[in-house]
Amino acid sequence: MNPFRVALAVARKDLRSEWRTRELVPALAQFIILALLIGNFGFQIDSRSAPSIAPGILWLALVFAGLVAFGRTFAAEREQASLEAMLMTPASPVAIFAGKALAASALLVICEAVMLPALSIFFGTPFSADVIAAVLLATVGMAALGCLFAAIVARIRARELLLPLLTLPLWIPFVIAGGVAVQSAMGLPGNYQQAIGLLIDFDILFVVLTSLAARFVLDE
Amino acid sequence: MNRYEKAAAVGVALMLLAAGAIFLYAPDDALQGPVQRIFYLHVSSAIAAYGCFAVVLVGGIVYLRNESVIADRFARSGALIGLLFTTVTLVMGMLWAKPIWNTFWTWDARLTSTLVLWIIYAGYLLVRRLAEPGRQGARLAAVVGIFGFIDVPVVHFSVTWWRTQHPGPIVVNNALPPEMLATFLFTLVCTLVFAAVLIAIRYRIEALLDAKLRIAEPIQVVPAQRPEAVR
Repeated sequence: MNPFRVALAVARKDLRSEWRTRELVPALAQFIILALLIGNFGFQIDSRSAPSIAPGILWLALVFAGLVAFGRTFAAEREQASLEAMLMTPASPVAIFAGKALAASALLVICEAVMLPALSIFFGTPFSADVIAAVLLATVGMAALGCLFAAIVARIRARELLLPLLTLPLWIPFVIAGGVAVQSAMGLPGNYQQAIGLLIDFDILFVVLTSLAARFVLDE
Repeated sequence: MNRYEKAAAVGVALMLLAAGAIFLYAPDDALQGPVQRIFYLHVSSAIAAYGCFAVVLVGGIVYLRNESVIADRFARSGALIGLLFTTVTLVMGMLWAKPIWNTFWTWDARLTSTLVLWIIYAGYLLVRRLAEPGRQGARLAAVVGIFGFIDVPVVHFSVTWWRTQHPGPIVVNNALPPEMLATFLFTLVCTLVFAAVLIAIRYRIEALLDAKLRIAEPIQVVPAQRPEAVR
């Protein structure tokens, strides 16, 4: 079986089930708006301080929304015990994993499509291609890692507890480089080119590593 | 005394000798005064912690390759002892930073990556506690251990691009006077021996725990045989 077609089929299945229930995306979008609201009241924001505070709120909201999204990735499969059925097919576990990661990152991109305009409306920060590029690049690697650890904790008691503890430390490189990229795109000092280059490096590194590890996590 | 008790006695004695060298033999630092004596154990326990996490990494890789229970027990022991030495490194570093940098903490590359290291292996131990003991938990934890080891240089590297305050490696740069270097190397050897003793003792405890839970070497799969005809 062609692994790319398997991955696309799994992704299409996940997105279709999300489209039919429409649970996760509205919940995540509302979560993000609430995070921006809390950020607004937690900080003293005016037009001068906004560029230095908005990137922080952006990454906090994105990281926690990502945790919720990836936590749900394997939840439905577990409730229906359908993951075992998928793994019994001749399709390779890595392709199945890639499909799930693809679907989860698509959902996260939809959330970002809500968050970035909302951020620039509420905080008056620039809504530029530079910001979008940095966030999208970070999403790639974060999705690979988030899906891997979602698959790991799906088998463990207290999974809601453990997913943030395992995933957040591994996302830190993306937050560091992405933070600098967004800050400099919003007019703070920082080397944008360097940060974007670093994000691309991390994406390559972690996508390769997670696809190597996926076999051990999903395989029975 | 059994051999674990003997090894523990040797380890503790070596650490006391190292303390003697640090406080009695090593000279005072010209600029920092007696506070600089934190250096010896601070750097030694950091190196010991990296060694322990290397044990976790190798144990995890070996376990994923051939499901060796021994490798997994070493990984478990290494994670716990490494976490201990990372804690020592962080606490001693903070005590040193307060008088010298006038702050307990700064978001420098080395401090950040050490903190991330601590968090990752604390998470590793949580996975071990929460996952079902046995094959599944060991495989998942092996993946966590391997990713944790890779993440640390990545965090370090990514912070180094933007801000750093922690001094670089001064030992390899030949910047230490001979008495200090001798004290440091002696403390390092003692700390590494102590770490190895702790891992050995922890390995024994893990083996006993496994025996209690009846986790043995994987059972060999015997090919199905046709039942003998009943006469």
